Amino acid sequence: MIGLTSLAQAAYPEPMAGATLAHYLAVSAIMFVLGLIGFLTRRNLIIMFLCTELMFQAAGIALVAFGRYHLNFHGQTFVVFILTVAAAEAAMALALIVLLFRRKESLDARSWEDLKG
Amino acid sequence: MDRVTSGVNTLGAIINPYMLYGLCVLGGVGVCLALPRGGKRPQILGALLAALIGGGAMLALGLTAGKAFPNLYFYVFSLLGLGAALRVITHPRPVYAALYFILTVIASGGLFLLLSAEFMAFALIIVYAGAILITYLFVIMLATQAAEEGQTEALADYDTHAREPAAATVVGFLLLALLTAMMFGGVKDLPAPGEPGHTRLMGQMHTKVQRTLRAEGVISPTEEVNAVDERAGTILVTADDGTYRKVERKDWPASLATGNVESLGFNLLRDHPGGIEIAGVILLMAMLGAVVLSRKQVQLDDEAKKAEAHRLGLIPEEGGAR
Amino acid sequence: MLDGLAHMLVTLGDGGALSSGIARAAAGADLIKLVPAITLGATAMCGVFAAMKVKSKLPAWFSVASLAACFGVVLAVFLGHDGTPRVAHAFDWINFSWTISENRASVTHDLVSNFAFYVDSLTLLWMLFVTGLAALIALYASEYMSHDVGAGYCRFFAAFNLFVFSMSCLVMGDNLLLTFLGWEGVGLCSYLLIGYYYTKDSAVAAGKKAFIMNRIGDLGFVLGLMSTYVAFGTLEYDRLFDLIGRGVDGAGQPITGTWVVQVIPFLFAIGAFGKSAQIFFYVWLPDAMEGPTPVSALIHAATMVTAGVFLIARLYPLFAADDAKLALSFVAWSGALTALWAATIEMAIFDIKRVMGYSTISQLGFMFAGLGLLTPTGAAYHTFTHAFFKATLFLGVGAVMHGFGGQLDLRRLSGVAWMRGFGLVGVAMLIGSINLSGVPGTAGFFSKDMILAQGFTTPGTTIWGAQAVGWILLVTAGMTAYYTFRTYFRVYVGPKEFTPGEDAHAHDDHHGHGHKEDFDPTTAEFDPHPPGAPMKVAIGLGMALTLLAAIPYFMGGHAARGEHAAPGGWVGGMVAHSSAAYNTPHEGFSFLGLTSHAAMYFISAGVGAVGLLIAAYLHGPKGWQGLWIGNRTEAATSRADALVPLLGRVVTFARNKWYVDEIYDFLIVKPLWVLSHVLYFIDQWVVDGLVNLFGAAPGMTGKAIRPTQNGELHGYAAWMAGGLAVVLLVVILVAT
Repeated sequence: MIGLTSLAQAAYPEPMAGATLAHYLAVSAIMFVLGLIGFLTRRNLIIMFLCTELMFQAAGIALVAFGRYHLNFHGQTFVVFILTVAAAEAAMALALIVLLFRRKESLDARSWEDLKG
Repeated sequence: MDRVTSGVNTLGAIINPYMLYGLCVLGGVGVCLALPRGGKRPQILGALLAALIGGGAMLALGLTAGKAFPNLYFYVFSLLGLGAALRVITHPRPVYAALYFILTVIASGGLFLLLSAEFMAFALIIVYAGAILITYLFVIMLATQAAEEGQTEALADYDTHAREPAAATVVGFLLLALLTAMMFGGVKDLPAPGEPGHTRLMGQMHTKVQRTLRAEGVISPTEEVNAVDERAGTILVTADDGTYRKVERKDWPASLATGNVESLGFNLLRDHPGGIEIAGVILLMAMLGAVVLSRKQVQLDDEAKKAEAHRLGLIPEEGGAR
Repeated sequence: MLDGLAHMLVTLGDGGALSSGIARAAAGADLIKLVPAITLGATAMCGVFAAMKVKSKLPAWFSVASLAACFGVVLAVFLGHDGTPRVAHAFDWINFSWTISENRASVTHDLVSNFAFYVDSLTLLWMLFVTGLAALIALYASEYMSHDVGAGYCRFFAAFNLFVFSMSCLVMGDNLLLTFLGWEGVGLCSYLLIGYYYTKDSAVAAGKKAFIMNRIGDLGFVLGLMSTYVAFGTLEYDRLFDLIGRGVDGAGQPITGTWVVQVIPFLFAIGAFGKSAQIFFYVWLPDAMEGPTPVSALIHAATMVTAGVFLIARLYPLFAADDAKLALSFVAWSGALTALWAATIEMAIFDIKRVMGYSTISQLGFMFAGLGLLTPTGAAYHTFTHAFFKATLFLGVGAVMHGFGGQLDLRRLSGVAWMRGFGLVGVAMLIGSINLSGVPGTAGFFSKDMILAQGFTTPGTTIWGAQAVGWILLVTAGMTAYYTFRTYFRVYVGPKEFTPGEDAHAHDDHHGHGHKEDFDPTTAEFDPHPPGAPMKVAIGLGMALTLLAAIPYFMGGHAARGEHAAPGGWVGGMVAHSSAAYNTPHEGFSFLGLTSHAAMYFISAGVGAVGLLIAAYLHGPKGWQGLWIGNRTEAATSRADALVPLLGRVVTFARNKWYVDEIYDFLIVKPLWVLSHVLYFIDQWVVDGLVNLFGAAPGMTGKAIRPTQNGELHGYAAWMAGGLAVVLLVVILVAT
């Protein structure tokens, strides 16, 4: 069986099989779609943003898995940027949400429907 | 190369697209049922169904993996992550959703570890779970209506009732079907990974090499590393008296190997310096934006402005000032 | 210096190879340019008078003076004319040329159509009676239209002057385009003057009818004009006649037997028929009698309607260039049938002004038959005499109409000549009638004879069925005598009796003649007011001119200048020196040892006498006034009434103008009406529908997709996800 020693590896000891990559990609896709469904169905603005974070997570998993497959670090570097954007987005979006909540005492996305052009 | 192809073929033979689509549909039904809609019963059923389908899918993936059977922890972490993600989108209480999201992040970190991305795993947990999600929690606290008297369950309508779950699920799982079809169709076309090889970064890390060699006792404290030739597998060491000697690869200690953080650091700073700059600007803008946005807008009339100016002593008080 | 002067003179004239001696004469012809200038100026002045709200007869006197001046100018040019065609160039109008490469050789084409006037004897003949009669009739109208002083008076004389301007352009135009300009101009003036009483529905309808019928004919003219340009590459008569004289077209190819001589004359003939109210096109002319009588006299009897005759006479070389003479045969037959057709109607109807209208059609038929029978001289002479006697007749009819409150029914008028102040009118009518009937010794007798005799002289091999045409014309001549004297015997002689017309009251209101103010047309207290001095002068002059018109037949004309004497006297000489000259076969048959023309004098006189006597018997009053064979004692009835049952429905048919208007209505107007409604429906629903569809499509699209822009964040996100799905699907389908 695979022992705990293989949990963390200092470098890339061996190439990853395509089949294994597919496993990670499947997880990534499912997580992305769950995030998407959440975004589409939940009406609480905060949870909607949580769902976008979920989609970021899924993208990150896919990127790291591809990087692992290709034995380079670009995937991980991109995750760094995703983290950056997620943090920035969280800061801005949460500030906006607070503002919106102050205005209407509600987090319902529908209460802002009248912003249509 | 050969091995990769056969693995994919096996996978494709058992989890053929139609089965995949069927699973997608079933999972979709489950998620759809699991979404909050006021009552409880269908939610639990849906969550169970979705979990069952997810587990089944994972099991199928595992059974069909053959030689390329992934690490057991992969199943643990992915089931944990996906289950938590399901709860994130189905739990009616935002606080719980945020906490489940922390679980998802931790599970993702585990997957990162499995993918030999240690630094990213911990950075993810620290930044997401430690910083961003805590911010979310703060905002949830700030932006939640206070519960009225005698009402223990203070759930807003927009939390307990999902919007058009069926349509959204159809769209989502349609997308999932397409995504997976594309992925599984494309994976076998990927170029085979090269040999693991060496990163050949040691030549740029003299200090680390010298420190490690000294700590491991391979060279004496008086000797200094002169040149590192990773390709040839030799390290040129100069003694006090000016004599040279070579440290061959076979004598290199294990800790001399380039670590994940070092590799990532080189990749980030050497290959993507522009990206770093842009990321910095984005963060700065976000900070400024957050400050500006969350500042409380106070409209002062002229009278108040004048009074404030007097208070600050900017203009002298009119009339009988003491 | 002298060279420059000579050059200038040459430029003033033909601008070609004229010697300086001829250039002096050409400078005389240049005087003719004053005619259009004066008339156009008079038109403008009438407009100024209208703007100044002149409340007097000033426009009339001004018009009479300017038209008389025009007549003087024409007379001066005529006296200085030596028989050679001249071109008086006023100014460049359309004048450009271009060079194209044709069969590897560059060929220069040009389109020259200047405001220049082609002055030959045909032009002068026409201009003489146009300007002369216009001056005369303007004088007449100055009184006739006096009830409209201050209202439509200026408008009337503006259109009147404009008509003379257009007519001078038509007649004197140096090229087909200028002729066409005049052609359309007279059509416009005709329309304006027919619809002069624009508050009267029938007048407006008649104006429109005339305009539309003329347009149909004009289509033929335009097609002929364009075909001429295509064939000959020029529109100028000078160059045109030169080419036709040499028998070649613009490219130098012989024209004999080609479409050029077989088709183009037909097109021009159609145009001429439209303007001159020939068969199929004549229906507008009787209705045109809705206009004021001076207009009927000048435009719809004497001048404008002869424009068709003029056009064919002007283009006679083109018509005669066809060896088979197809177009001329067509013209001859159309003319003869028109003459007969109109005569049958005249014999039945009672409206004396309509009788004159149909009589004009009939006489125009004679003229066309004359053209077709290869006697342009006869046609021109008949046009000339007809202009005078028909104008006189109209002036007489107008005087009656003016005097009796618009009464025109010959059953309600009798013995007009014996009423106080109408004596001159009676005499004028008698003179006009004997001319129209062709009583020997009158101008009408000689001019008609020229045409009638030609019918039996022209060989049938040249003009198809020439003899038949002659017989038809002869019969028509007898009918003409009958219907002319039917009117005369009924209206002008016999017991004095009248019923005033409907507009007697309104008519009197505008009159300052001191009639009873509270006039009631139902009582017999109506006092017919006789024509005033201007009308009498005009009628008298017209009468005199009608009598004098016979004299030119015996004048030597230009033959006196040492050339061979053309048949037909003065007019013949005029025609012989113009484009209409044609070497007509003069002798065909002999009768009792007389030459054809001499024999025809007796034959037509006999036929005319028969017609006259029948009229006297059927309609003449008792006693000498009815030549002792009539027995009519009251206005309303005559012996002819007894014939009506014998003839059965023929009379009814003829009285209703053979229902031609109704047939046209059924065959042309109704189908067009239906077609127009169908097209309107198509336009409304198909064309507009299509356009509206294009207009509505964006709106409907917007309406359809507007719900997606509901401001709901989830909706946008769902569309984004759906779009992503579609993109992925496309990628998969394309990639695999």
